[in-house]
Amino acid sequence: MNHAFLDKYSNLNSLIHKLDPRTKIITFLLFIVFVITSAPTDYIQFLSYSVIILTVVFLSKVPLGYVFKRVLVIIPFVLLVAIFLPFANKGQEGWIIFGNVMIKSILAVLATIMLSSTTKFHKLLKGFELLKFPKILIMILSFMYRYVFILVDEAQRMERARDSRYFGGEYLRQIKIICNIIGLLFIRAYERGERVYQSMSARGFDGNIITMSKLAYTKIDIYFYIIFIGIIMIIKIWSLF
Amino acid sequence: MHIPDGFLDTKTWMALTAISGTAIAVSLKQTGKTLGEKQIPMMGITAAFIFAAQMLNFPIAGGTSGHFMGGVLAAILLGPFTAILIMTTVLIVQCLIFQDGGVTALGASIFNMGIIGAFVGYYIYVILNKIIKGSKSIFINAFIASWLSIILAAAACSVELSISGTVPLKTSLIAMTGVHAIIGIGEGLITIAVLSFIKKVRPDLLELRHE
Repeated sequence: MNHAFLDKYSNLNSLIHKLDPRTKIITFLLFIVFVITSAPTDYIQFLSYSVIILTVVFLSKVPLGYVFKRVLVIIPFVLLVAIFLPFANKGQEGWIIFGNVMIKSILAVLATIMLSSTTKFHKLLKGFELLKFPKILIMILSFMYRYVFILVDEAQRMERARDSRYFGGEYLRQIKIICNIIGLLFIRAYERGERVYQSMSARGFDGNIITMSKLAYTKIDIYFYIIFIGIIMIIKIWSLF
Repeated sequence: MHIPDGFLDTKTWMALTAISGTAIAVSLKQTGKTLGEKQIPMMGITAAFIFAAQMLNFPIAGGTSGHFMGGVLAAILLGPFTAILIMTTVLIVQCLIFQDGGVTALGASIFNMGIIGAFVGYYIYVILNKIIKGSKSIFINAFIASWLSIILAAAACSVELSISGTVPLKTSLIAMTGVHAIIGIGEGLITIAVLSFIKKVRPDLLELRHE
């Protein structure tokens, strides 16, 4: 198991980590909707949102280098838009579109990084469950999260075995090896699924997962709700005038 | 094809979120009817499988690489409604944990890769099976269906972006479908090879699922 990269920084101790997952989910969704519904050239609004999210990043104590590396995932899409700029033939307007999607996507990615790297995944799921997301979906997600490490490990082991025996060659043969890996992975996953279900039935699984962890709002949550929503509301209302 | 936040305008992402939300609700109902609680661990593990399989890159001409999507494969193995749920969970995890695709664009991604990539792709496969028959036909049909599923998903993605005013329709449609016509060959080859591998090792798994 070498997948600490998933929630690597969720064990830190900071103000943001202490918040209830529900608080983070709700403020996160509000923030993103507020950001992406703002006018393309409203730079004061973008600047205010940037200050807010950077304050949160600072408060969370998550290393800036890590945050920066994570932001890079949006690059392929930014490039895609950039490639089509000359074809759009809109001159100035094309650059406004480009700047707009770039600023909005960076702000949204920062917010998502904050949500996922300060909250353990099972707590996040618990939060979504209490916010009335479909229960079956939550359960599939929690099983998936439980087994994804095992399967990624298995896939990487098989890939390593392939790489150590493979010295280049025909394209078709290469595809065939990948297919055998994927096929084997599926059969292993399926059979594991059957065994897991049998052992769960033997212990009385009736379709409900009962957990001990209970979430509770604290004073910090209430302050965070008031301050965060208050500030973004003021920014939004201000921008309307 | 994972669209970040901010690339779609409000009317587009809201409409696609509503469509995908409805599709998920219908799929939950359908899978609940046919499979019951046994399917939950199975769906979770299959979702983990699709997720892991998507991490294996294969080379495409010109130094770039693509990866497997697995929509049609999941639908052939576990049924079209289950496949929508599996793709949904994979996309949610990719969005929340890896920031691969935005939250407001999640509806669009589920539409492109779940509804078009898995559900529509599966029914292309079913229709082809009725037209082309023979001992090897399921492999040819699976290849065509998964190749088309990739192209259609890419086309949907570029239409969504151009409706939002982010990219021009004509050039982006040509470029996106062109590139994905090549990536789709890899997808098709992997789909049929995995199917033939499963047919050799556990043929019963292919007979089981008929929703």
